Amino acid sequence: MERIRIKRIDPYRLEIMQIPPMRTNGIVYANADIERSLGKEAAIEQVANVACLPGIVGSCLAMPDIHWGYGFPIGGVAAFSTSDGIISPGGVGYDINCGIRCISTSLCAHEVLPVIERLLAGLYRNIPSGVGSVNKALQVGKKEFGDVLVNGASWAVKKGFTPLADLEAHEDRGCIEGANPDMVSVRAVERGLPQLGTLGSGNHFLELDVVDEIIDPETAKAFGLFQDQIVVLVHTGSRGLGHQVCDDYVHSMLGSAHKYKIDLPDRQLACAPFSSSHGRAYWGAMAAAANFAFANRELVTFLIRETFEEVFNRGCEKMGMGLLYDCCHNIAKKEGIVLKGQKKEVCIHRKGATRAFPPGDLRLPGRFRATGQPVLVPGDMGRYSFILAGADNAHETFFSACHGAGRLLSRRQAKKLSKGRSILDELKRKNILAMAASRVTLAEEIPEAYKDVSEVVDTIAGAGIARVVARLVPVAMVKG
Amino acid sequence: MPYRFIDHPADIGIHIVSKDRRGLFEEAAYAIIDILGAKCPDKDLQNQNITVEGLDLADTMVRWLQELLYHIEVKDLRVFSIKIDRIQETGLNAWVTGNHSSTGLEKEIKAVTYHNLEILEVDNHFETTIIFDT
Repeated sequence: MERIRIKRIDPYRLEIMQIPPMRTNGIVYANADIERSLGKEAAIEQVANVACLPGIVGSCLAMPDIHWGYGFPIGGVAAFSTSDGIISPGGVGYDINCGIRCISTSLCAHEVLPVIERLLAGLYRNIPSGVGSVNKALQVGKKEFGDVLVNGASWAVKKGFTPLADLEAHEDRGCIEGANPDMVSVRAVERGLPQLGTLGSGNHFLELDVVDEIIDPETAKAFGLFQDQIVVLVHTGSRGLGHQVCDDYVHSMLGSAHKYKIDLPDRQLACAPFSSSHGRAYWGAMAAAANFAFANRELVTFLIRETFEEVFNRGCEKMGMGLLYDCCHNIAKKEGIVLKGQKKEVCIHRKGATRAFPPGDLRLPGRFRATGQPVLVPGDMGRYSFILAGADNAHETFFSACHGAGRLLSRRQAKKLSKGRSILDELKRKNILAMAASRVTLAEEIPEAYKDVSEVVDTIAGAGIARVVARLVPVAMVKG
Repeated sequence: MPYRFIDHPADIGIHIVSKDRRGLFEEAAYAIIDILGAKCPDKDLQNQNITVEGLDLADTMVRWLQELLYHIEVKDLRVFSIKIDRIQETGLNAWVTGNHSSTGLEKEIKAVTYHNLEILEVDNHFETTIIFDT
């Protein structure tokens, strides 16, 4: 490929000019500061590489939390025709349906802060976290596991872990259609089976936050958010099952690329035609892994509710612990779009990006149709997170928005920077309590390792993709 | 250390140099064992045979490390030493000496990626850079 050229379109958008063998241009949502931080990254080249894949529709996109991934950039969004385009496991990532959810409460900070240490200790004790964590108390048999993979969140409703009312607060009601457990390898099941109902490690977390600023009062009210409210964020995905599914299909699609005459600019972009046997098999396995992730977040939520009930000696309904929303941010979805006046079905890959349906979108349940879909954007553990709502310009990103702050430092650099420091004490001085299964994780996740999420959010709001509704500040967290 | 870490914003990268292919593959395995914290002492050792097939040398590297990762994470294999006794463009056979223990790991590696992976022969030595998704 020739040298990549970038042109600024407006204060929020950059264009990567189309050069051979790119099949389309790229659009990166970035303000001037984010553009500067991109200067030293290979992420732009990765956007250009994705733009070379067959059947890409519209522009190849990257959200403002873009950073260097492998194959696809993190923050990448690309739509491929389901009739003559591809599906790529690398475009979804290893942690299939990694996502974040927000559980509301009717509790105010002054009710929770006096017992915050006991609450955090209970959450840490009751929810398995850390490297290789397993949940021995919630084991399901192999036969029932098939039901988890096919039905996702509905399985949890059927088993009494999740109230029925929570289902509408999920993308696709917590179940991706077309899951086929027969396409999930024995190894993937072996890895996933004991990990259902666990948080995991790395950047996965569980966090108690206070709503510290309401920015859009009308939408906040519709979302059930109010000043000083306590909410709970949960960030986890499909654990070892998803990792193995991705692994299995990257390998098989590398082997089939020649058959489908696909020229790969990077092997990690291994892909197959969506409608081919390889494409259909991956869809069946990916949907199964995504459904596992939905069920996993349901079980973690069940344990959170149980812990609140233990500490406050009240039923979770009396504490208003409903699900505000569950956002997937590593996933491929079949969605309908209108491009140049023509309706089209596409397979949208969101790798480190969140779906963001705007107000009036008929795919949203009645509860969110007037406001737009809630979009949850966690920041680093020492600053703040945001709740957004999909806005009118979301059509230009295939209804996608940012998913987080985006890393600034490598894990190694972060560890180096945190040497000799007590991260727990530093957080405590900011009135944030943390418990972590590993000190190394804590060191890798220091606030300085991430961009300021407010810049990311300002960019996506400035571009009219989503509106900022409320800001949250952390008060306690469990890190994996 | 025969390998060095490279900076990658999301993940862990290592650069390995060795005088031959066999050494390159063994050092890559030792790197993954270091990162995971999966070493074991010289006690109750058993030998385990691992065979993998790949499309080419780079694919063989990924398959080899992924196989090792599976045995460590899922089968609780802890490793004392590694010996590769056969290596070709499209596969290898190795003996892993270690024991099985449920001692916790220090780090999770989700996968060994193919991202920009090349195995280069330069001035009579072999080198490669591997990115792990953590």
